[in-house]
Amino acid sequence: MGGRESDLVLLNSDGIRCDGRKIDEPRRISIKAGVLNNANGSAYIEFGDNKILAGVFGPRDVHPKHQSDSNTGILRVRYHMQPYSVPERKRPAPSRREIEISKVIKEALLPAVILESFPRTAVDVYIEILQADGGSRCAALDVAAVALADAGIPMRDMVSACAAGKVADTIVLDINNEEDQAGQADMPIAVMPNSGQITLLQLDGILSTSEYKKCIETGLVGCKLVYELQKKALKERYFGGQGS
Amino acid sequence: MTQNGMPNMVMPGDVITREARRAGQNVVLKGDMLVSSKVGRVSVTDDTVSVIGLAGKYVPHIDDLVIGKVISHSGQAWELDINSAYVGFLLATDVFGRDFASHADELSSKLGMGDLVAARVANFDRTRDPLLTIDDRDLGKIDSGVLVRIAPGKIASLIGRQGSMVQTIEKATNAAFTIGQNGLVVISCEGPEELLRAKKAIGVIEREAYLPGLLDKVTASLGSGSR
Amino acid sequence: MGTVSILDGLERKLITDSLDAGRRADGRALDEPRKITIETGTIPKAEGSARVRLGKTEVVTGVKVNPSTPFPDTGDKGALICTAEIAPLAHPDAETGPPSEGVIELARVVDRGIRESHMIDMSKLVIQRDVSVVGVFADNAVLDDCGNLFDACSYASCAAILDAKMPTWEMVDGAPKMVEGASSELPISTIPVSVTMGRIGRHIIVDPDATEWMCMDARITITTNSDGNICALQKGGREGFSFEQLASCADTAIAVGAKIRSTIESSKQRS
Repeated sequence: MGGRESDLVLLNSDGIRCDGRKIDEPRRISIKAGVLNNANGSAYIEFGDNKILAGVFGPRDVHPKHQSDSNTGILRVRYHMQPYSVPERKRPAPSRREIEISKVIKEALLPAVILESFPRTAVDVYIEILQADGGSRCAALDVAAVALADAGIPMRDMVSACAAGKVADTIVLDINNEEDQAGQADMPIAVMPNSGQITLLQLDGILSTSEYKKCIETGLVGCKLVYELQKKALKERYFGGQGS
Repeated sequence: MTQNGMPNMVMPGDVITREARRAGQNVVLKGDMLVSSKVGRVSVTDDTVSVIGLAGKYVPHIDDLVIGKVISHSGQAWELDINSAYVGFLLATDVFGRDFASHADELSSKLGMGDLVAARVANFDRTRDPLLTIDDRDLGKIDSGVLVRIAPGKIASLIGRQGSMVQTIEKATNAAFTIGQNGLVVISCEGPEELLRAKKAIGVIEREAYLPGLLDKVTASLGSGSR
Repeated sequence: MGTVSILDGLERKLITDSLDAGRRADGRALDEPRKITIETGTIPKAEGSARVRLGKTEVVTGVKVNPSTPFPDTGDKGALICTAEIAPLAHPDAETGPPSEGVIELARVVDRGIRESHMIDMSKLVIQRDVSVVGVFADNAVLDDCGNLFDACSYASCAAILDAKMPTWEMVDGAPKMVEGASSELPISTIPVSVTMGRIGRHIIVDPDATEWMCMDARITITTNSDGNICALQKGGREGFSFEQLASCADTAIAVGAKIRSTIESSKQRS
């Protein structure tokens, strides 16, 4: 968080943010399940200006063999940005940032997936960022969870993610790119919506303890909204939009 | 809502019921709740609540008929892709008999890479990969026909009650179906016209397996292509 | 990963039997490519972009246009870099990690078609001679691999380059500075179109799909420019072609390529 001085009005006197949203309003989100031919499961999300594709393979044989576990299946996640996904062309090799995000997404999904019934196998989740905007790790996690369900990987619960943050001394839902650059705090959150377990939590920026609690509560409201859209995407794919 | 107030179609994490029932396939017990672990349809038999998963790979069950593709072999066994998390093994002794000697009988003379095989699951548990057998009538290498894929969770819909669905399609297209529980189906029929109609009928089941009146829709699709 | 898909025997038989009967397993004529759909501007934050579907194969290409420092011996020309990768979600056999030789060949064949056709007039991409030039990066990402990535990536690269808007730079204190609100199209001189043909036995087919690809004895990619001349070639596969076959392949590439060129051109007009 830079907290940089800028001409940008992050929050005006009417409580409207720089992109026209209210403080508790998420960006436009759309999710579609089952978009690839070769993956066992797949999904595509547009979350603000994020455009992200996820594909899941498995459970399948583990290569290299030494990663294989005779008691359980393993989960592997790769978050990868296309060179053209960001303003300044990104080198194709994975950066330290991409490797860290891959790890936190994996650990956010692990409590949900049931891999004990597939010993000696791997489930691979591949995430391609085609266009990046603020909150790409949350959007990536949302689309990965739908792709896992689309692949028929057994799950105790869905995993739904959304960020909250602090902009112009106010806690707001779903930070965009400008707010990420110029705001005061960014807190990505993921939750298993039925059990309430929070499985991803990070923070860039400074918050008081009361702001910290408010920020989590705000983020969880966003996660709930995302959860409904995840279910809608799966319903459209499997039940022609009908059902539960 | 159907079936004693339980939902019909569920997603991972959806609570199916708080009633005291046994958790069957694709259902997990969380506190006093039965929760679905997959996208699928709820099925209640006796005291057990299960979910018929509509997505995902085949989970082997002993005695299932499956169609496998030979992808490799060692001196003692073939490895078959059975659309599962695990590769299926077909032992050379199963094909050549008990007195099989690996130096004398060359495995590839019987089954080569890419060959399709109708087999039965002889054994499978969490410590061992599925063991297959072709030692029965109508099992073994498949020499003709066209391979079609459907989600393993929709095979029950393709077969229908007492085989009614597949019989309807077979009769209308003059085709013979070999149905693997693992989602692989081999269609043998006279000409490309019949094949196209049979494939179309399977397409209807793949898309609409979850909706009521499936048999009528399939019958309609079969009628539309003919004459 | 580490695995290679094997075509099942029935499918292989269907493909060869169909060809012997003068048609293809999916009903196409021998010289008929799959359906091509091109959307441009799919990645608004890139200077140029295109999503191409060739049958079920899908590629998204982004073009970035940035000032760059020229190589010492080419200070009078802009720079072009064209890459390709098969995203691991595109196919179960696709690998993470360093690119395989097949992927490197793909990237080089796509690059060669654009470079050798002189599609972009690089002499017009100079900000200040020997100091700063315009670099054009076309990055191809294969998202669904259902056969013939050479042509899918080549069409996507062309469409994305045609879609690209180039900012204007001026030198301020020895460094390029972007001029607000001034942009232009890239200087285009021709549109290269590759046509990949496979040989299965005595039959030559245009745009092999995933299963035909696995049955091929040999393949050739012929890239032609807007004048109908040949500007790049790549032969691949474990067997060869006769001279007569290659001569007829060139005629096919020019005829089929001309139709595809107009599809690529109209993708630009739509956007």
